[in-house]
Amino acid sequence: MTTTTAPITKKGVRLDAPLFGRIAIVLLGIAALVYYFLQPQQATAVYASTLRQSTPLILGALCGLIGERTGIINIGIEGQMLLGAFVAFLANVYIGNLFIAVLAGVATGALLGLFLAWMSITLKMDQIIGGTVINIMALGLTSFFYVAGLTTKGKLQPIPLGPLADIPLFGPIFFNNAPITYLTIILVFFFQFALFRTVWGLRTRAVGEHPSAADTVGIRVNTMRYMNTTLAGCLSGLAGAYLTLEAVGSFERGMTNGRGFVALAVMIFGKWTPLGSWGAALLFGFATALQTQFQFLGLDFIPHQFIGMFPYVLTIVVLAGFVGRSRPPAAEGKVYDPE
Amino acid sequence: MRKTTLLFIALFLTLALLLAACGGGTTEPAANESAAEPTSDAAAEADCASADVFCVGLVTDVGEIDDKSFNQSAWEGVQKAGTDLGAKVEYIETGDAKDYATNIGLFANNSYDVIVTVGFALGEATAQAAATYPNINFIGVDQFQGEPVANLAGLIFPEDQAGFQAGALAAMLTKSNTIAAVLGTDLVPPVVAFKEGYENGARYINPDINIISTFHPGGLDVAFTDPEWGASTAKQAVDQGADVVFGAGGKTGNGALIEVAGVDGAYCIGVDSDQWETVPEAHACLVSSAMKLITPGVFDLIKLAKDGAFPAGNFVGATGLAPFHDFEAKISQEIKDKLAEIKAGLDDGSLSTGYNPGG
Repeated sequence: MTTTTAPITKKGVRLDAPLFGRIAIVLLGIAALVYYFLQPQQATAVYASTLRQSTPLILGALCGLIGERTGIINIGIEGQMLLGAFVAFLANVYIGNLFIAVLAGVATGALLGLFLAWMSITLKMDQIIGGTVINIMALGLTSFFYVAGLTTKGKLQPIPLGPLADIPLFGPIFFNNAPITYLTIILVFFFQFALFRTVWGLRTRAVGEHPSAADTVGIRVNTMRYMNTTLAGCLSGLAGAYLTLEAVGSFERGMTNGRGFVALAVMIFGKWTPLGSWGAALLFGFATALQTQFQFLGLDFIPHQFIGMFPYVLTIVVLAGFVGRSRPPAAEGKVYDPE
Repeated sequence: MRKTTLLFIALFLTLALLLAACGGGTTEPAANESAAEPTSDAAAEADCASADVFCVGLVTDVGEIDDKSFNQSAWEGVQKAGTDLGAKVEYIETGDAKDYATNIGLFANNSYDVIVTVGFALGEATAQAAATYPNINFIGVDQFQGEPVANLAGLIFPEDQAGFQAGALAAMLTKSNTIAAVLGTDLVPPVVAFKEGYENGARYINPDINIISTFHPGGLDVAFTDPEWGASTAKQAVDQGADVVFGAGGKTGNGALIEVAGVDGAYCIGVDSDQWETVPEAHACLVSSAMKLITPGVFDLIKLAKDGAFPAGNFVGATGLAPFHDFEAKISQEIKDKLAEIKAGLDDGSLSTGYNPGG
């Protein structure tokens, strides 16, 4: 009788949330629907804002988790996002083609990812320091080269997906967005599948959990790490492009405002899985949208700074046991030296 | 080989740090570096300590001199003093809030006659400097003076009056009967004054109007530089039916303006300066801006200082609505007349904005 209850904890990272986690998700869903039936217009506005606020967070978190799943800690997401945003903005100003601008942002993120991989694998540098280098560098470069007064020729506009956009509640929230938001939702499911159902995913996780074992079966550990860190960089770059090309349409110094760091919290919250992180990102986005809504409604019996703290308090509460134990990949942050 | 790569990395890092410093992002040298200029210039050209040479120095808040906002407006006032009054003018861009006192001190030690500090955040450092250097006149833009000090004038603005006119305009333009405001932080009194004035102005036109307004939840360091928050908040307001949005909060507010520009039939109202000039992306919605006329205010105070009639305590500058630009033809004469009537009422005191921070 004891043997049937024990194994769950032994297996380590499990995909499904523990029971109360599921109950919480169901309760949240019911609350969301109730809100919609009481105040359809308001609820739709809040949920649309939630998705919007969560987009850069989940892209950053995907970048973080792909890196860490392969064993490379990426603390430079903030810098990758910022420089990606800046380059995408410049491309939009000088080339004027939004598609090329997005690619430029993605490429910038990838280059910084490659740079991080080079520092942490080839130079065997401390990965935290490597990431910090990227953050400082991005802040310096963007502040130095930014010229006030540059204006863009437009930003990515929402594309309603035909009849899907007319579905009540879900239509205006999920099917009336701009391209990067759609792409982000697809990427979440894509990476969830790729990480747990493909050869690439298995190898990635093997390299992050037990690199020497992976090496013995013929996986080239450091090549894998190089590849994945660069790929992950693309996602941070995309998050940057989202900020300048889709969300705002303009660049400001330091406009990422710590979103790259919140993305790390989102990743841990989501237990290093794409779907879990998406849930966490939506929760963060929802908290921000909700505190705005509280102010809109004039509910000032709570100081709004308290509502602003809400997502962070929630993180602590959730980390303290709500989603169960959150365990990082075993070999993250460790240099792998085959000799 | 190994050593060369490491050396390369080290060099690169140093470069990155240096760039960060030059950019004025976080580090101290930014201030000191640009401050080196006035020192050498002063020695070469003229001695600020001599009675014949009138020197005016300006210290910005964290941000740039060409921010197209209050730093730039104040600097234009100082430059006008340079051309009209023959003053020698110089500025220091503050890179970090820790450097306020240092930067003011650099001008003070060079015996500048007038030092202009821009922004509410520099209030404390300015008051301390005014006590340390009684022979120098200080002008604090947006710095309310509780107790008048002989050599310190706070250039303040009745933001509530500009906000009141913006609110009245918004209330006359809205078709959905819902208007919104996306604001910087309530930690800065002028922002609160704008908000209260805006809401009261709207209610003056229509007591039943639905006003949804929100402050950025972050602190002083992020509240004015978060365009993405401003944009998504504006969208959240528009999704609930708001068709006029007042964006008052630096870059955060600009994000809101640009967002509203993408919405058909919605209007937006800018803040501080005429944002038609500063945020061209928002031309599609920008009807007007609630302006603080910082440039003439700074110039007037410098002139008074030169004439030896420097006023202690608070000096109230002018506010007003910016021109309608492309919306000139779309705004009915009725609305224009009403706005003129409100402005006249506010000016002669027969109309009150109902905003009274003192109690």
